[in-house]
Amino acid sequence: MTDGYILETQALALAYGGFRAVDGVDLKVREGTIHSVIGPNGAGKTSLFHCLTGGRRPTEGSILFAGEDITRRPAHRRIGIGMARSFQVTSLFQNLSVRENLRLAAQGRDGDRALTFWRSVAEGKAHLALADEVMERLNLTARAGVAAGDLSHGQQRVLEVGMALCGRPKMLLLDEPTSGMGIDDIPVMTGLISELGRDHTVMLIEHNMGIVMSISHTITVMSRGQILVEGKPDEVCADARVRAAYLGEAA
Amino acid sequence: MTAFLKSKGIFGGMTLAVAAILVLLPLLLPSATLASEILIFAMAALACNLLLGYGGLLSFGQGLFFGAGSYLASLAMIHGGFGLIPALLAAAVAGAVLATCVGWLSIRRAGIYFVMLTLAFSQMGYFLAYTLSKWTGGDNGLLDVPRPDLSLFGIRIADLSSAGAYYTLVAVLFFAVFVGARRVIDSPFGSTLVAIRENETRAAAIGFDTRHFKMLAFTLSGAVTALAGALYAMLINYVPLDNIAMSMSENIVIMTIIGGTGSLLGSLLGAGALVTLGDILSAMWPRWQMLLGLALILIVMFLRGGLWGGVEHALDRFLKIREKGNAP
Repeated sequence: MTDGYILETQALALAYGGFRAVDGVDLKVREGTIHSVIGPNGAGKTSLFHCLTGGRRPTEGSILFAGEDITRRPAHRRIGIGMARSFQVTSLFQNLSVRENLRLAAQGRDGDRALTFWRSVAEGKAHLALADEVMERLNLTARAGVAAGDLSHGQQRVLEVGMALCGRPKMLLLDEPTSGMGIDDIPVMTGLISELGRDHTVMLIEHNMGIVMSISHTITVMSRGQILVEGKPDEVCADARVRAAYLGEAA
Repeated sequence: MTAFLKSKGIFGGMTLAVAAILVLLPLLLPSATLASEILIFAMAALACNLLLGYGGLLSFGQGLFFGAGSYLASLAMIHGGFGLIPALLAAAVAGAVLATCVGWLSIRRAGIYFVMLTLAFSQMGYFLAYTLSKWTGGDNGLLDVPRPDLSLFGIRIADLSSAGAYYTLVAVLFFAVFVGARRVIDSPFGSTLVAIRENETRAAAIGFDTRHFKMLAFTLSGAVTALAGALYAMLINYVPLDNIAMSMSENIVIMTIIGGTGSLLGSLLGAGALVTLGDILSAMWPRWQMLLGLALILIVMFLRGGLWGGVEHALDRFLKIREKGNAP
């Protein structure tokens, strides 16, 4: 571990042709904190997220996780080192039960050991136990047998985070966890995130600045592919450049 | 009844139903040879179902594995002096290796391109068999395929020359494959395969290297399909070039879909329906396969779960009506 930072990027860039969606980002996420990345539309948050989770290969720069260079590591091999992600657009196994969704996510940590085809899944007691534990934590136990696609949107968003949690990660990367949630459901999600922040490092991407103010330790504001401002929530809130960036979007 | 068939234990529920079917089949059908043919194609459909119904992978390469199994087992017996068990094992191993190679290359593309790649491999296999006529007999087929006695470590166990005795062997092997398939589907591997079918992006995000799982599905499917091909060659003492042709791949896929994807009993039902219908109708009308097209259209449009889905649905409704009738 280097100086308590679990995730570090160095001069990270992602270019689509001539357009630099991420343009030289040095991001440092301190272990055990909730770190939010916010910014107006087109700031490069999602592109940055894709680089961090292995969805896109950065065109320049490097990514270090717990001191290890993971810049070119494919998405499925990031679970094993302790990174887990959620999706902005809910991405569940829609026709499978809530419990099976979580059990699969727990099994995913095993990687290729799940190629075992001569044993019953019932023997994977540790996976079932973890799925049940996470289900309890998410208040979804009563809906264990329901197909994920039949849950309410709010519950699907919660399950989305639960899927990441089942990978027993050191760090959770959440892509707009409240996206599409009703105003009444949002506190459930922010409550869950701040609770998760007690035993995980959490990094989240968020469009709506208001949501992250109360739960984040550090906020990074991005604009045009670069880091505009970084600091504690109140510092960021008071910064004139941040206001300008958000107002610029509104204008 | 349906709850019984859905029970989880691999030796309970559905497996018992299959055991009963295996005993009754030769008694209900006009000949044990027809019963053997049904089980052999049911085996191939089962293997196709693992890919299509559970993995969501539509492979038109199944005929390649079936044909390769036929040729390899036959040639091993004719030229290599292989016994029955070694010949069947050799076919299964060769099928597994071949399917792994085809799978390894095909799964690099998704959707329609994946299907086209399996089709291309299948066509290559066909023309290879056609060209190597010195070995395969080309258009005339490979003749005089023996059906050796069943023996183990040089000890002769049974003479299989009668149709009934051969059916017993096929039925025992089918039962083993069926139980094995149930285990595979209920395993960590099987559950992951379903997850990949449902949502591949998420499956990768939770840590699975989806290519490895698809490849293993191909390996297992190829081994079973080639085993079925070898059994078929010994059944008819002959390997027609059709065994490795496009039409074989089509037939296997059609049986799987008509029976019902995602259900193992469906594969048995699909193979049973097609082989029996073919047997009855081909005697009456040489163009009977037109009806097959019609049946496929109707099932795809109106009976999404295939024949087995229809049976399940009918059973459920029947039970509900009876419950209502019994209620005061």
